[in-house]
Amino acid sequence: MAIIETRNLTYTYPGAAWPAIKDVSIKIEKGEFALITGPSGCGKTTLCRCFNGLIPHFYQGELQGEIMVAGLRVQEHPIYEMATHVGLVFQNPENQLFALSVEKDVAFGLENLGTPREEIRKRVDWALELTGIYELRERTPTELSGGQQQRVAIASVLAMQPEVIVLDEPTSFLDPLGAKKIFEVIYELNRKLGITVVLVEHRLDLTAKYADHIIIMDDGKVVLDGEPHEILNSDQARLIGVGIPKATRLYQILRTDEVKLGGKVPLSSEEMAEKIREALKHL
Amino acid sequence: MSFFDGLRFRRVTSPIHNLDPRIKFVYACIIFVIAILFWELLPLIVLFIIQIPFVVVAGVKREWARSMKGAVFLASIIFLTNFIYSFINAGYKVTLPSLEYALAMTLRFLVLVESFSIFFLTTSPDHLGLALEQTHVPYEFCFAFTTAVRFVPVLAEEAQTIMDAQKARGLELEKGNFLKRVRNYIPILIPLIVSAIRRSLELAEAMESRAWGAAKKRTNLYVLKLRREDFLFALITIGILAAAIFIRLYFRIPHLEEVLAGFA
Repeated sequence: MAIIETRNLTYTYPGAAWPAIKDVSIKIEKGEFALITGPSGCGKTTLCRCFNGLIPHFYQGELQGEIMVAGLRVQEHPIYEMATHVGLVFQNPENQLFALSVEKDVAFGLENLGTPREEIRKRVDWALELTGIYELRERTPTELSGGQQQRVAIASVLAMQPEVIVLDEPTSFLDPLGAKKIFEVIYELNRKLGITVVLVEHRLDLTAKYADHIIIMDDGKVVLDGEPHEILNSDQARLIGVGIPKATRLYQILRTDEVKLGGKVPLSSEEMAEKIREALKHL
Repeated sequence: MSFFDGLRFRRVTSPIHNLDPRIKFVYACIIFVIAILFWELLPLIVLFIIQIPFVVVAGVKREWARSMKGAVFLASIIFLTNFIYSFINAGYKVTLPSLEYALAMTLRFLVLVESFSIFFLTTSPDHLGLALEQTHVPYEFCFAFTTAVRFVPVLAEEAQTIMDAQKARGLELEKGNFLKRVRNYIPILIPLIVSAIRRSLELAEAMESRAWGAAKKRTNLYVLKLRREDFLFALITIGILAAAIFIRLYFRIPHLEEVLAGFA
């Protein structure tokens, strides 16, 4: 069963002249690593806000169509209830940490839910271990680097043990290395714990290889939706202005030059290297 | 940035820092009450001196000295007004009692500053927020308090960035007379306020996404528990209060005149 399913979802922000997302129908399966991408302002963030009920409960505005997340109709359940099923990580790490210590921040959601203290302790330590920031637990957020702050943000939604974690461009404030680490953490959560991941990202070079499913949006609509190799190899993806992985692009250029590398389209440098090695062997 | 540095908190530990903030607050209040009980110079001097060991144990001598220095200006105003008042009352003569009175009033103020600065210098905002929570202050207020403290350095940094950006566009902050200088800060304040509002919206979103307001009864990762040291400190405080009340009721406190006469 799909853990996130929308049907003809259309949403207009209060006071806006036209909808931010139009007629979005997508299906994300349980345990999937789904990647949503598309040019800036195409409605990716708006869609993320729908997943945990910030839209329509926090933003008001007009929501049409159907959206079911973790078996709940989002319109009918308050954000705090959705929050236990869907964890949302935002773009700016600084603005999602409120407490004076890392530990306290990770505990924030559980405290709000009224979880008993011993249980909070256990889950906080668990989340800190998983995201690799256990030794930072007594620090103040301001003392941390952007990458560390973002890992705290991930730990703090993880502590609530949601079925889905939605990350809205979590690395746009980070340097490449920090970003890479974040993606590795996310991938591990997906593989080891089977948490469904919905990642909104521009850096496909680093993330395409993890994805089971790619959704490309443009101008509030879903343009492409499907298996990563297929989608990223399509001309349409390139024309919309999605930053398709360099390895994929290289494969395409070589193909037009009549150099055929066998098998699937590569999505990462590692896959490309493997193909070239293969091809060189047959020379 | 130096101004904001004072607001930045550091995690320090000392026997005084580790005390329960509630007890420390009670201590500061009791010292306040005692300072009001006495209007003679001698007991106020004693009250001032007995607090110094706490400052030393807490290892906040430098910060403490700074806050006392900060109080000097107000203290001198208090001294002058009291002195002039008693000077006029005494028939335009400088007398020893009037001098003593003015000094005592000044010292009373300094004792207040001393005791509350011990409280604030040795209590981390974290602890303070927790203490507020556990004394049943509505959680919204406690949250507002700790979040404000958390964002002071962030906003300070942002103010600096905006200042640099505006200076790069040719804004001269240090130019003109006083009024002009105040007006120079408008191009800094407006972007700062706008971005703070935007930030608060993002914060609200993040709070909502972490189940803000889910349970009627919130739990807390930490609890404040009174330990042996806290009881000891409470005992000392009560001891000081009892002694003060006893002295107030049953002793005649010598005036400066008599003390000086005794030496002579």
